[in-house]
Order: sequence, then C-alpha cells, then structure tokens
Amino acid sequence: MTQRHYTLSETLEAVSDLTAEQLERYVSSGVVVPVQSEQGPLFREIDLARLNLVVDLAEGYHLDDEALALVLSLIDQLHGLRGDMRAILDAVAREPAETRLRLKTAIREVRVVTR
Amino acid sequence: MADDPYKALGLNKNASQDDIKRAYRRIAKTDHPDLNSDPVAHDRFKAAAAAYELLRDPEQRARFDRGEIDASGQERQQRHYYREYAESDDNPYRQHQGFDDLSDVFSDLFGRGGGGGGGSWRGGAKSFDMRGPDQRFTLEIDFMTAARGGSTRITMPDGSVLDVKIPEGAHDGQVVRLRGRGGAGMGDGPPGDALLTLIVAEDPDWRRDGDDVETILPITIDEAVLGGKVEAETIDGPVMLTIPRGASSGQKLRLKGRGLRGEGGRRGDQHVILKIVMPSRIDAELEHFMEQWRRDHAYDPRGRR
Repeated sequence: MTQRHYTLSETLEAVSDLTAEQLERYVSSGVVVPVQSEQGPLFREIDLARLNLVVDLAEGYHLDDEALALVLSLIDQLHGLRGDMRAILDAVAREPAETRLRLKTAIREVRVVTR
Repeated sequence: MADDPYKALGLNKNASQDDIKRAYRRIAKTDHPDLNSDPVAHDRFKAAAAAYELLRDPEQRARFDRGEIDASGQERQQRHYYREYAESDDNPYRQHQGFDDLSDVFSDLFGRGGGGGGGSWRGGAKSFDMRGPDQRFTLEIDFMTAARGGSTRITMPDGSVLDVKIPEGAHDGQVVRLRGRGGAGMGDGPPGDALLTLIVAEDPDWRRDGDDVETILPITIDEAVLGGKVEAETIDGPVMLTIPRGASSGQKLRLKGRGLRGEGGRRGDQHVILKIVMPSRIDAELEHFMEQWRRDHAYDPRGRR
C-alpha cells in the first residue's frame, strides 16, 4: 500500500498549533489512533486531517479531552451516516424512474405524515 | 484566497498576533467544513485558514507586509478536511456503535456485521456486567515479518507494551485479535479485544502477487553466458540457484513452494527475475574481446518481434 505516513515530528510540522505534549495526550486518550510500527507511531493523512480538526475544536471551544472525544464521536457518526446516505442516494438515482417514484411515495408516507 | 488576508479574517493591518489567532478561531468555530456543510461557510473558512497560515508566523507576516511575498505564493498545499476521509466506509474511527434501530437495514445493505464494537449484555437483568468494547488499531509490519511470521513489539496508546504474534504469510488488511486487550469491562464483565489491522509495508526487494513473491537477482555477464550456481535470497534464507547457460535479463526462474503460506496452508512460488549487471568498469581486455567477437557473431535481439 502506497500511503504516505508521517512520523511524530513530521506530524507536528504539518499540523499548525499542535504541541508535542498535546499530541501525546491525544494519542494516549485515543482521540487519534496512529498506525503502530516497530519504529513508533505513524500518522496517516486521515490522522492529520483529524488532528487539524481537533486543534480547531479544542482551541475554538476550549474543550477538555472528554468533551472532545464526545464531539469527535458525533462527528464520526455524522460523517459516516452522510457517506452511507450518499451511497443510498446514488443507488436510488440509478434506479428507473418508476422505482424512484415508488420510493418517493413510500418516503412521504413514512417521513412526512403531517402536512 | 482573498487578495487581502487581513480582510479574510475581518481585520486590518494593525491587528496583533493575538487578534489574528482569535479571528481565525472564531471563523473556524462557525464555518469549519466538518461542522457546517454550507458552501458559503466553506469558502469563508478556506480563506480564513489560508490567511491564518500566512499571518500566524510574525516573521512571515512581516515579509508579507513589506511586500516581499504575496498572499497566493505562500498558500500551502490544499488543506484536506477530515470529512473527506471520514465519510468513506472504511474510516477507522467509525466504530459503528449505536443506531440499533437501523443496524439490520444497514448490515443488509452495506454488508456490515450488526452493531460491531458495542458491548454485549451478559448475566440477565440482575447484573450490570458488560463486556468491554473492542478497540481497533492499525499495525504496520515489514515484508519479512509478514512472510515468515513472528512477533513485533508495539506500544499501546495507554503506554503498555505488547508483543504481537504475526501469523506466517500475513497479508495486507488481515486482522489479528488480541483477546482481552481492548477496553475495560463494566462490573464483572471481561475486557474487550484489541483488533489490529495489519498493513504490510512495501519492500523494494520483494514484490507480492497473491501467495507468490517476485525478486530480482543480479548476475554477472560471465554467469549469464556460462551459467552456474548463484546464491539467491528466499523467505527461508539463501539457497543456491542454478543459472542456465545463456541466461537473459528478465528471464524468470521459479522456486516452487518458496512463496508465502496461503489460506489452505500451501505455499506459493517464488519467481526470481534475472538481471545482468555489467562490471563497474569495462576494461581493455573485455572491450577487445567483444570487438573480436562481434566481427563474426553479430546478432539482432530486436529483429524477432
């Protein structure tokens, strides 16, 4: 697999406003879970993106580690559901028009009862 | 990015470093693409992030103020937002907990196992014992460890050191389960498991194709012409390999059963690709011999396509 991996110091270099102590805390509390290797932890692109978000959240909202973990878990759920939803919508879009119409009617019945 | 990074942050040139940081944080709070899906907010955040990147360092800011660098020239490579990774189905941070009411439909549609990762209740209504959650990690190992099996030492996020047994012939994406090394249980519940997804690092000398492996064996011109026995690396250590007389670069020799241990327990093959390497210096004797030889034995390897 050719995926770029970043060492601890490369990660600190790549993520603005992140200190070594903070990073260590985020790893030990499981906020980020780097790839383990015999050379030590390695961070993937997704970990860097997550750390950028973590810095923005932690500094912007003054979140402590517990609150941070909660917010991240909600964001993970939201993003995951959004990805699932996109997949379902793409699948629906590939169906013929009459199937889409049937689904639309069914969704209205289930979801838009009032009105 | 906006022409004026100060404007992107809603500031003017007299702003202090603290003002800059605060302004960026304020915009990040409301407009961060991971929190706000509005495209207008996205544009505002992008401009603010680029501006902050330029102005957060006082020296760089001073150079910009003096006109030595311009705003666009300093733009970092496009920042990737977390959601670009997090929406994909294999996001390692998404542990699929909750959504019990949806999980049947979802596992049906997406082929996922139920609510995986959640704890299961044990002991009926009278006790609160719950098995701890499974925790997922990713572990990178080198090619030889994967091929031969063995053990690799890792440090868990909580600081404890673990020796992980790697099964022989481990492949990319394979999951190793460490019983009882996951999250702590509740009450008398046992701890969960740690699930390690393996990544096999690329190795310049070993290429993998299913259970077969491919290596390159450099040989000298005299070995190529005359044939002979040459030592070649295999997963099990060096073996003597017979080079046929008149071997060419690119020719493949097969070492049966020297590949990786497959699912059924049988091992694949190793393919050794020969590569003729010239001596570091062409001496007068070799040159003279070749000139002589060419006179009577010229041949055209490109002619027979």
